[in-house]
Amino acid sequence: MYAAITGASFLVLFGVVFWSTARFMRHQIDDSVANEIDEILADSQAGNAGGLGGVVRGLARHPSGFYYLLQSPGGAAVAGNMPPIDPRVGIREWQEGRGPGGSEHAAVRGRGVEIHGEYLFVGWSTRQLHEMEEMVAGSFGWGLAASVALALVGGFVATGRLMRKIEAVSETSRDIVRGDLARRVPVTSAGDEFDHLAGSINAMLNRIESLMSDLHQVTTDIAHDMRTPLTRLRQRLEGARHPSAGAGELRDALDRTIREIDVILGIFSAVLRIAQIESGARKSGFTAVDLSELLGTVAELYRSSADEKQQSFRSDVAPGLAVRGDRELLMQLFANLIENAIRHSPSEARIELRAAARADAVQVIVADDGPGIPPEYRAKVLERFFRLERSRTTPGSGLGLSLAGAVAKLHEAAMTIEDNGPGLAVTVTLPHGDAGRYLAMSFSSSGTI
Amino acid sequence: MIPMRILLIEDDAETAEYVLRALAEEGHEGAVEHGGRRGLERALGERWDLLIVDRMLPELDGIRLVETLRRAGRSTAVLLLTTLGGVDDRVHGLNAGADDYLVKPFAMSELLARVAALGRRATFAPVQTLLRFADLEMDLLRRSVTRGGEPVELLPREFRLLEYLMKHAEQVVTRSMLLEHVWDVHFDPNTSVVETHISRLRGKIDRGNANPLIQTVRGSGYSLRAAR
Repeated sequence: MYAAITGASFLVLFGVVFWSTARFMRHQIDDSVANEIDEILADSQAGNAGGLGGVVRGLARHPSGFYYLLQSPGGAAVAGNMPPIDPRVGIREWQEGRGPGGSEHAAVRGRGVEIHGEYLFVGWSTRQLHEMEEMVAGSFGWGLAASVALALVGGFVATGRLMRKIEAVSETSRDIVRGDLARRVPVTSAGDEFDHLAGSINAMLNRIESLMSDLHQVTTDIAHDMRTPLTRLRQRLEGARHPSAGAGELRDALDRTIREIDVILGIFSAVLRIAQIESGARKSGFTAVDLSELLGTVAELYRSSADEKQQSFRSDVAPGLAVRGDRELLMQLFANLIENAIRHSPSEARIELRAAARADAVQVIVADDGPGIPPEYRAKVLERFFRLERSRTTPGSGLGLSLAGAVAKLHEAAMTIEDNGPGLAVTVTLPHGDAGRYLAMSFSSSGTI
Repeated sequence: MIPMRILLIEDDAETAEYVLRALAEEGHEGAVEHGGRRGLERALGERWDLLIVDRMLPELDGIRLVETLRRAGRSTAVLLLTTLGGVDDRVHGLNAGADDYLVKPFAMSELLARVAALGRRATFAPVQTLLRFADLEMDLLRRSVTRGGEPVELLPREFRLLEYLMKHAEQVVTRSMLLEHVWDVHFDPNTSVVETHISRLRGKIDRGNANPLIQTVRGSGYSLRAAR
């Protein structure tokens, strides 16, 4: 294929060169012949030259590469250095060896004119033209052969390289299918299209691997988190079934069982909710949201809870903050952050909700002066089921912050978890409501999503 | 309690049985259909006070069923039962024309409270600007409340809370119904906000009165009714 294209283009090039060279040379011959005829006619006008016959005879004696022929009206050669020919007017050309009258003679191109009944022909050897044509054809022939050969070799080499690279990709995918998820397509230092492709494939594989490991983690965590309450549930039901259990005990056990089941269902519900939010389908329902009003409601929802723990709750929300989003999910995001602050801070703690417009975004901060989160765990708290105290004695599923993180991500909002010295400050930076201008989403291990 | 004719369209036989029994105990007349298509035919073919429709149904989806019903010009009240974690179900259901929704699994008291609230809706006077219950009066235009002729000062949220209680007087209203209608919150915020506001409202309306009107219904919610 490669060779055929190379050959074809070479042939086209050859044709153009050959044809234009030959045309140019014939043109040259025609010009010189015309000049010579003009000169012969001019010389024959001069009295001392013995007329046309004299001039031609004189020229034929000292040929300068021209062929001359002067024929009488009867067809007999009067003068010249070539045999008589059929007296036709105009441009004429003979190939070598097929001269007029069958005689051996050179290839000639020239012009015949009729002057007062006599026929004058002046020609020029086309040997040079033919030699040139042969030479051009010859060299092009070699060139064609060489280039086709080169193209074939190059094609083989390139195809081999291509096959090797493709083989590397398919070998990698076979390994991955076999279960080795850590395999990656090799990237060379060439920086060609294949390396770009390999880079993209590897990025995709990284994403898939991290999703797979997430999935694995979540599955394990759900199973783990479910086993403890379900075991407890089973024990309680078994105890309640005991013949000695009175009606009151039975009723009490059932009530507690229902409460426990509600907690388990709540966990499932939260997991499903996070999954749905992460799928991004909810984005189609985005509307203009009055964030100031929303935060006011959230503050109102939790003020009483803070009061019950003797915590001070301060809300400083600028009026007229507008964002685009899903009201329900945004409310849950900030509710989770505040609930988290209240739950994890001791009594007498100070909890703050601040919201204000920044140059290109709306910033909401939920801060407390409670125990905070050690820096090494700040990225972890956004993971599903992560809880600082592994004993899991306090209520809560460890899903609150991951749900908040998923909602923030859906809204293209940055959520950072920082030290409040002492305590914790969670900052959510939302794009302005008027346009999706703000797209800065930073992901880093410092606990930024 | 106003007895109602209720059609339950629910594919899970056990849930259906359980709901029907609870409705019967409340004095309602209930019937059940397990498939979406049959359910729609029956909903259109007979006169019902309320339809309870499951979101996930064989043959015809619950939301499509409600849409079809509304396109046929039926204004029968519809309570949609949605699935666990179905984030969009509420919006889709209400857009399709459902009047209320309840996320499965639900407490039976919650379902019965919502059924009662929807039943009342049908017989609601179209425009009411003056709500009255016992010696409690609420003027919705002047945003004023009096108890036994004495003016009561309420904050806006307390006003909305009392308005909802008065519109559903003698019925049980649950915590989540109050969160939805008074705060426009559609998830369980895990706070005592409702309890706190009820307690404040009691302080302003019932304190020192021999006849308290706001009652706590154990395990269910609250109700505006005269103490017995």
